[in-house]
Order: sequence, then C-alpha cells, then structure tokens
Amino acid sequence: MGPPGERDEGWFTRLFAAEYAHIVKYGLRRLADADASAELAQDVFVIAWRRRREVPDRSLPWLYGVARRLLANEWRSRRAAPDVLPITDADLLRATSSPGADLTVGVADVQAALADLNDLDQEILRLIGWEELTVAEAAQVLGCTRATAAVRLHRARRRLTEAMSDQAAPPTRHPVLATPRRDL
Amino acid sequence: MFGAERTRTLLGPVDPARNTAVAPPRISARDLIDRAGTTEYVVRHRHARPTRRLVLAAGALAVVAGTAGVIHRFDAATPNTSDIADPPGVEPGVVLVPVAYQLNSDASAARPHLRALAGKLIDAAYDNQSGRYTYHHTKVWGDPVMTSADGRYHVAFADETKVWQAADGTGNQITTQLEPQFPDQESRDYWQRELKGGPAVSTTPAPVSVPLPPLDRAPLPSDRAQLSELLKARYGAGAASKEVSTVYGRYIVPRQTRAEILRVLADVPGFLWRGQVTDRAGRMGVAVTFDDREHDAQSLLIFDPNTGELLAHERLTLSPVRISAYQVILDAGWTDRLG
Repeated sequence: MGPPGERDEGWFTRLFAAEYAHIVKYGLRRLADADASAELAQDVFVIAWRRRREVPDRSLPWLYGVARRLLANEWRSRRAAPDVLPITDADLLRATSSPGADLTVGVADVQAALADLNDLDQEILRLIGWEELTVAEAAQVLGCTRATAAVRLHRARRRLTEAMSDQAAPPTRHPVLATPRRDL
Repeated sequence: MFGAERTRTLLGPVDPARNTAVAPPRISARDLIDRAGTTEYVVRHRHARPTRRLVLAAGALAVVAGTAGVIHRFDAATPNTSDIADPPGVEPGVVLVPVAYQLNSDASAARPHLRALAGKLIDAAYDNQSGRYTYHHTKVWGDPVMTSADGRYHVAFADETKVWQAADGTGNQITTQLEPQFPDQESRDYWQRELKGGPAVSTTPAPVSVPLPPLDRAPLPSDRAQLSELLKARYGAGAASKEVSTVYGRYIVPRQTRAEILRVLADVPGFLWRGQVTDRAGRMGVAVTFDDREHDAQSLLIFDPNTGELLAHERLTLSPVRISAYQVILDAGWTDRLG
C-alpha cells in the first residue's frame, strides 16, 4: 500500500469514475441482481470516501475487500444452517485428470465444476480469473498472506480440474475449514 | 505466477459479467459524499431497508466462520516429538502430535464439571480493561491444508494473527505465515519431495498488515438462550465446539458470559470431561472432548481452569488419529492502541 495522496473530492470523483464499473461487475458475478450490484457498488464507494485516507493508490483490491465484507454481512444475516464441517474430508482430492484437460472442456462443464467447489475455492478462482487480480492482490482481498493465496489457488485449480473430469458423478460440495479473515 | 494465466484462460469464457455493459451510475460521486456525511455506517443502512433486492447467487460467497483449534512446539509437559520433528536432511517443519494423546481413556460426562467450573470463575486479565479496540492474538493451523492427489499426504499452513478491531469492524490485522506443519512423518517426507517448484511453502514471509474495512459486528449476547443459538448448540457438540472457538476468536468474552457459555456446553449432549491437559502454548487447562463418529472426528476444547477463557480448540480425525485443525488463543483484551 503506497502512501495516500491528496484525498479530496476530485480524487474521489476520479476513483469513482475509474472503478465503479469494476465493483458493479464484482457484484454481478456474485449476486443475482443488477440493481443490487449497483447498490453494492454505491455502498462500497461511500465507505471509500469515509475511509479515504486508508485507500491505497492501487485501490481496486481494497475496494473488492470492502465489497466482500459487505456481502459477508448480507450472507451472514441470511445464514440459518450450521456450518458444521466434515473437516476430515474437506481437502481430500480424488485422482486428477491430465494437465491439459481444462483447455478442452466446454463452458457448461466449467460452470458446473466451478459451482461444485466450496466457496473459498470459488472466490480465489473468481478473483484471479474474473477480477484478474494478481495473487498478491487476491491475498489482500482475502486478508491472508500471498503464500496462502498461492496455495489456495493451487488447491482450487486442482479441485476444479478434478470436478471437470468428474461431471458424471453426483455433485458434492467440499466443506472447508479455513479462515481467510478471523472475522469472516 | 502460479496458475494465474491458466486460470484466466479457463474461467474467462464463463465470466457472467464478461460482456456486460455496466450502466452509468445513477448517482454522482458528490451524491455519495453527501450520503457518507448523512448516514451511519452503510452496513446498518442496508439492514434498515428490508425491501432491498439483494439475492446471493448460489455458492457465491466465501465466508468461512472462524476455524477451530490451537499450536506449536512442545515442552516437557506435552508429547515429545523430538524423535520425529527434525530428521536429518529435511527442512524444518513440525510433525504434530495431538493434545488428545495426553488424555486418559477413562472419561466421564462433562456436564457436572462444566457447571462446577462455571460457578467458580474469576476475572480474566481483560475483565478490568477498557479500550477502543478488541485485540486477539491467535495461531491457527490448517489454513489451508493441501492434500496429495491420492489423499494420503497432507501439508498444513499455520499462521499467527493479531487483530485490532473497533466496534464498527474497522481496525488492523497482521498475519504472519509460519512454517508448514504435517500431521504425520509420511506427509512431511512426501511434501518435502513434492513441493519443489510448487507454491512457496517452506519460507516464512514477512508479516502482512491489512486495514480492516467496516463490518457489521453483532454484539455478543449474554443471555443463555441467545448464546445457545449463537453457539448452534441444537446442532450438537461438534458444531458448538467450533462456534465456541469462533466466539472467543472474535469477541472479548466477559466473565458472566464465559460462565453462561460453559453452562450452554454442559447442556449439549456428548461432551466428555478430560481433566487437566497442557495446550500447545504450554498452558495448563482443562479439556472436554466430543467424538463425532459421523465424521470420524473428535473436537477438543481447552479452558483456563480459573477464568474459563477458551485457550485452545483442536479437531482430530479418529482413524487414524491425526490433527485436522487447531487454534490457540494466545492473548485477548481491550486496548486504545492500534497495532
């Protein structure tokens, strides 16, 4: 995080113009509603203004982190079932397919396989694959170290590959025991 | 960069927003500045609007509640791992021995012991503190765990985290990744061979400091019924164990609430009293366990025998007996200084 420059209305206007669409797209990828995505983006920028002295010059990962937390609040408020964890099975991988298999599968296969992953695996893949963050930036969003994010990406890729090669099997969701952030 | 380009190549075509033209914002930056000055934190604003259409896509969000568990190297009071911890020619990386190895085979129901403990708690150091921020210093193992393709060998990452957090969720988090650890010697041998060229796991990177944006933090209830709900007691001892660990990792728990938590746990069927143990930080505590046969797992909670604070939470697989996750809460309290 670099030292913040002058954080006046002009800075905020430029930030809003440059990054608004990115935050809306972040919402669209995780929400089922365009209006809600737009409102999420507005909320993110309200927080960005309030905390403008903390916003780094490379602001997008920070803004994604705020969006993630706002969504976490919504998710938590709707949460009813317990997240009891068959931890022992959480990280077991079945046999993997050939290294190039992911390049030849169809879109529907990838979508189905992605949906079959646990939420944390999905999020690291989305941050890298869709938001096009670097691993270090994704780590900032997730509140973990770069090395941890790299391992999560590695693991998620392997699970995705495995899920794509296993589409005929009944879908399974893999609970995960992990704390990307101590309060999330 | 490990796998980033391939990930984009693979996922790009299924990006739901890839070809979406985002409509111009309906309000201006100036409007948002005005809103920032006239409303409380947005998270509360959102909850005040029940008509809002915010629908989470299936599996959309990665929010994983706090890990359970504890850490570290063992002293004389804990299991001796010297014969397996540092074989010649292998880089350091502890092979873990479950705290459960200290337990006697004879155990009784935990209920009367937990209730008795709840009735004699004394103040913790933080009970007489005040401050703007809560402070938690924890070590967690198992975030993440990487497993070989055949499912036999595991390497787990441990990190040490210090979190300062104000009531609105803002604050700072400093995380230091520790050396990888292994649930058995075979896993250690395997990963020491296999990890060459993979993601970096044998180094200890510099601490990472993350400013925490606002988060809607519900206050910790003190009422037993509400605590029982928060701890998911109705879902059994496994769920309750994990939630107790989450609560202690997130809140500063006052004495009366600590006592109520123990009483809630006393009423959850399945806990066994294990008496005195030593946690991974070398602290004496009293332990309860729950055998979760459905998941072939055991949960272990270690409490301070005087204050009732949670010191540690550990989760094992039972066959073979092997650690799945642990957390030690090394310090907690109130402070006005943001670290």
